[in-house]
Amino acid sequence: MVRFRINGKSVNAKKSSTVLAAAESLGIPIPTMCHLNAYPPFTSCMVCVVKDKASGRLIPSCSTLVEPGMDIETDDDEVRQARKTTLELLLSDHVGDCEGPCRQACPAHMNIPLMLKQIEACRFREALITVKEHIALPAVLGRICPAPCEKACRRAQIDSPLAICLLKRFVADADLASESPFIPECKEASGKSVGIVGAGPAGLSAAYTLLQLGHACTIFDNNPEPGGQLRYGVPEVRLPRRILDAEIGPIEYLGAELRQRQTVGRDISLDEIRRDFDAVVWTTGSEAPLPPGAFGLETTDSGVKIHPRTFQTSRNGIFSGGAAVRPSRLAVRSVAHGRSIAHSVSRFLESGFAPVVNARFNSSIGKLKESEKEACLRYVESLSSRHQRTPCPDEALNRKDISTSQAASESARCLHCECLKSEECKLRHLAETYEARPHRFRGTDRKPLEKITEHPHVVYEPGKCIKCGICVRITESIQERLGLTFIGRGFDVRVDVSLGRKLDEGLKTAASECVSACPTGALAFFQDGRME
Amino acid sequence: MPTKVRLNGDEIDLEAVDAIVADIGRKPKHAIAILQAVQERYNYLPQEALDRICEITDITPAVLTGVSTFYAQFRHKPAGRHSIKVCIGTACHVMGAEAIYDAFLDHLSIPEGEDTDKDRLFTVEKVACLGCCMLAPAVQIDELTYGFVRTDTVSSVIRDFLESEKSGPAAAGRAGGNGKDLHGEVRLCLCSSCIASGARKVHEAIQREIHTQALAVDLKTVGCTGMAYQAPLIEIVIKDGPQFQYGRVKPEHIAKILRKHFRPVTVRRRSLTAMTRLLERLYTDEAWEPVTRYALDTRNGPDAAYAGSQRHLVTEHCGRLRPDDIDEYIASGGFQALEKSLGRLTPDELILQIESSGLRGRGGAGFPTGQKWRMVRKARAKTKHLICNGDEGDPGAFMDRMILESFPFRVIEGIIIASYAVGAREGYLYVRAEYPLAMHRVENAIRLCVERGYLGDNILGSGHGLTLHLVAGAGAFVCGEETALIAAIQGGRGTPRLRPPYPSESGLWGKPTLVNNVETYSLVPWIILHGADRFASLGTGKSRGTKTFALAGKIQRSGLIEVPMGTTLRQIVEDIGGGIPADRQLKAIQVGGPSGGCVPDTLADTPVDYEALTSAGAMMGSGGMVVLDETDCMVDIARYFMAFTQVESCGKCTFCRIGTKRMLEILDRLCKGQGKKDDIENLETLAVAIENSSLCGLGKTAPNPVLTTLRYFKDEYEAHIDGRCPAGKCKDLIVYSITDACIGCTRCAQRCPVGAIEMRPYEKHEIDVEKCIRCGTCKGVCTEDAVRVD
Repeated sequence: MVRFRINGKSVNAKKSSTVLAAAESLGIPIPTMCHLNAYPPFTSCMVCVVKDKASGRLIPSCSTLVEPGMDIETDDDEVRQARKTTLELLLSDHVGDCEGPCRQACPAHMNIPLMLKQIEACRFREALITVKEHIALPAVLGRICPAPCEKACRRAQIDSPLAICLLKRFVADADLASESPFIPECKEASGKSVGIVGAGPAGLSAAYTLLQLGHACTIFDNNPEPGGQLRYGVPEVRLPRRILDAEIGPIEYLGAELRQRQTVGRDISLDEIRRDFDAVVWTTGSEAPLPPGAFGLETTDSGVKIHPRTFQTSRNGIFSGGAAVRPSRLAVRSVAHGRSIAHSVSRFLESGFAPVVNARFNSSIGKLKESEKEACLRYVESLSSRHQRTPCPDEALNRKDISTSQAASESARCLHCECLKSEECKLRHLAETYEARPHRFRGTDRKPLEKITEHPHVVYEPGKCIKCGICVRITESIQERLGLTFIGRGFDVRVDVSLGRKLDEGLKTAASECVSACPTGALAFFQDGRME
Repeated sequence: MPTKVRLNGDEIDLEAVDAIVADIGRKPKHAIAILQAVQERYNYLPQEALDRICEITDITPAVLTGVSTFYAQFRHKPAGRHSIKVCIGTACHVMGAEAIYDAFLDHLSIPEGEDTDKDRLFTVEKVACLGCCMLAPAVQIDELTYGFVRTDTVSSVIRDFLESEKSGPAAAGRAGGNGKDLHGEVRLCLCSSCIASGARKVHEAIQREIHTQALAVDLKTVGCTGMAYQAPLIEIVIKDGPQFQYGRVKPEHIAKILRKHFRPVTVRRRSLTAMTRLLERLYTDEAWEPVTRYALDTRNGPDAAYAGSQRHLVTEHCGRLRPDDIDEYIASGGFQALEKSLGRLTPDELILQIESSGLRGRGGAGFPTGQKWRMVRKARAKTKHLICNGDEGDPGAFMDRMILESFPFRVIEGIIIASYAVGAREGYLYVRAEYPLAMHRVENAIRLCVERGYLGDNILGSGHGLTLHLVAGAGAFVCGEETALIAAIQGGRGTPRLRPPYPSESGLWGKPTLVNNVETYSLVPWIILHGADRFASLGTGKSRGTKTFALAGKIQRSGLIEVPMGTTLRQIVEDIGGGIPADRQLKAIQVGGPSGGCVPDTLADTPVDYEALTSAGAMMGSGGMVVLDETDCMVDIARYFMAFTQVESCGKCTFCRIGTKRMLEILDRLCKGQGKKDDIENLETLAVAIENSSLCGLGKTAPNPVLTTLRYFKDEYEAHIDGRCPAGKCKDLIVYSITDACIGCTRCAQRCPVGAIEMRPYEKHEIDVEKCIRCGTCKGVCTEDAVRVD
């Protein structure tokens, strides 16, 4: 046994164990990327650095052995900064999008690529569920949304963007026209109740999500009917009222109590609502009869002042968003806020305060280079050749302008920019934890986007590789005949198949092990972007 | 697989691969040697040959691919018949190496992005450093080195090479009669840098003249004096008489010099010679002054050094010893230290001597040598190894090359003594691939040592044995780092690993291994023979003995020097180096290469001392010393070194792989006048992060050139952000023009490599700014100072 100190505590560790192993056995987490259990240390990523307090130096914990009397700090400011810098350097050389640019551009963060994949496979019901995961009113938005997603769509650089908004409307309309439109499952009732002021897109969206999370909702609205600006600001020709009604229906069905013709400040006071409910959602829009200041809510130049992450106002337990915070004609933004408020309120109801949740990290490659378009199209081709497509019955549903097969073939145009391992990726996860800024050390010229698809099951994206050598070590140890290796050196070093062969020859028996051990989306299975 | 396959239209015979493997071995450790032999055979590494190697050896495809793409020496595309290596070492860089490189491409009409001419006669590549810094800019074609190449002499260099190829290399060795009747000897160094200065042609001329004049004179190839600024340097030694030196001699001078000192043996020839001599006197310049006496035997005796500053320990007997003659080495006291060690000292006594001498590693970091030896000695293992690190890769350093080329026996003697002290019976002498002559001479020296029983199972009957292997590096600066060096000797990619464990505990093949560099080993015999006290009496503080430096750059007299520790940089530059040429001002002295830093003129009194140099922000490093004057841009120098480290990074750890790249991009931006406001701050942030968190010494010290220039020359960085280059060096920030002082001599127009100046005799010339590549040639050749840089 070796006695040493870690984070100020005196501890014992097995002789000749690494600092990392010792910390792990003591339940002290140290992040790693190039480390692979049961393999000798490689010491390349440097994300596992800790501080040796005696010398003040940062040392890689994965390959430093514990020594008697050592004094290790695993998580002070300097260590965190060093890890952050490491991640920022890796990200500056990371050619990949965590999520597709469409999804990153969508204020509601709708999982567009997944929806498209499902439509392509004619799994319309699943596509609708994907849509409604983030958007409570898809048939409505499908008619009035200016579609920031389509402006971001990378396919636009090649020919034209995907008709995302139309496809969303297509699945939403198909659902509404079906015998049993989709009603989401709700969690068990929490016993908590939320008062929502304003039945516009933000309020309705908040209610839709809060109800699914098990919280009771009562909506106070000064108009005769719910919908806010959707009903009273958008012309009928753009948004038929039956569509709006049809999408408000499920919210009521889930249990939302709608109290129309109730003007807060006149018919009921905010204090009363705050007293009667466990939390309040203030989504009055920009054209509320009374200014928010009248209710003791702090304001900015544009509207109610909120915490940008928690959506909580200056008053404890009162949350706000949508046009009440900043006037906007963008209904999708209000719908998005509604959902975010709901999650924040739910956390508040559980713990008594609204914790700040780190924003999801997103790496982005930006514009395609001319030479990369070809690679993107080849990737799309290889994706569709792998799909076991159930042939779509070529029939028009309720829309005359788009048929199921048209929807499917339009969806098949998606370049699927999103990372197949966006949820598993260690780099993304750590970048989020350490709040890394991906552009801090932005390079002059990024490496080209490459998607190597010659393997039947594995996609290799060299641009996402962090050169940790895990796959190289695995193929070596399980004696792949060819295996992967490091090619070249320095900044241009890359991992590829030995002797210049193709990926299907290099990864025969080790594919599964390599893909699951790869800390990023460099090696992924085609089915990794699966359709849950 | 068939043994014959067609390849690029030529049928290649894979039986050659089989033969190579049969000759070298089939273990993973043989990978580099096999690849070198295969490349030697085919001029590159054909895919079929690589496949074949994997089939018939224990080397896996992954290892072979990894190794063959790691080292700069290996090519996967067919190369030209001859290889032109343009040195872009520090000294060559400041002398305009980039323009030379472009000129070769241009002359051979090699299109952009390629490196070989269409006839596949020449392949042009950049090389980190040829170790001929005092001949900057230097170019190596196959094994011939050319110095002081200019953009306008590129064609004559190629012509000369092709001619020399036709005539074949001059026969080296002795001319003249046997020792007894000799009237004296002519000494000439044929090391790479002297050859580059034209020594081979001088050698041929001497041979010819000795023959035509029928002189009883011995022509002796000796180890280098280090006085590169005088190369080719010949020394005339009259038997039992005085000695004379002639610097910068040309073949046409030889006849006269020899006639001056020696008389023909026969009467008839003597009278004939007297006639021609009389005639020649009419035409030639008689005032041929011997250069200042430099060697040890002047009137002050052997202990007095030139100008009082140099001391020759490593370079003892420089300019007198034949590098390939073991008898001469023995006659001058060689192997006495070995005999003393093996016969009269125990390993512990030996280590104590080294410890008390205060010797520290000369490879750069300055770890106490005795302490290292003791650690290896004490390590408990049946088998121990020894490595001599001759992978001198710093651009601007050539001490190890000179030592290996001129004093191979001394290095080997030091190695044998060390092996006895630590108990190692296998030794590896790793020499970088760019030093072919050093390889030849060491190979020869090892063979002679084996023949005489200095190497082998039972050295001088002591019972101690050492087998010394010569290992050829394959081109990777990072292999100077000891753990990377070990990986390379084991046949793998030269990537470092974390220390501890240090090689003294677990090194080559996991065994305790002593790793010292060439200079460290070659100091050992002197210490043993003359005593640790005498060694320790030289120097200052914790830095004892002498240190060799490769003095180059903007200096009058460049070359290999050896000075006692404690000598100040100013003494080196002014006394030994003779100051800065062309009445320019000293700006800084770059010490320690890419791991070191720039010591500004205000700190020129800093002594040569490990600690003092480190606190000035530089580093002893392995001893490159490049003098910079006011025309050198410090941002450009920082960028130059960063570009070097960046290319030489092994690519393993994040900080070195990506961090140095980002630093280089910032520096590139600054030099192009595209700097952003926060660039300086980002440079500093990255520099500190890389210093703190890189895996190995190369990475940790990579930011040093930036950090020191930022420390002493921050105003130059700020000027670049404003789009100015105060030194007038950064091409994108300057414009060349010709002033009214122009006399119309047309020199500039003749020399301009891109034809940006139209030739107009007796008229004022003009520079076409569009065509101008800002190489500075016109400014260099103008006698009227009529070229302006803004």
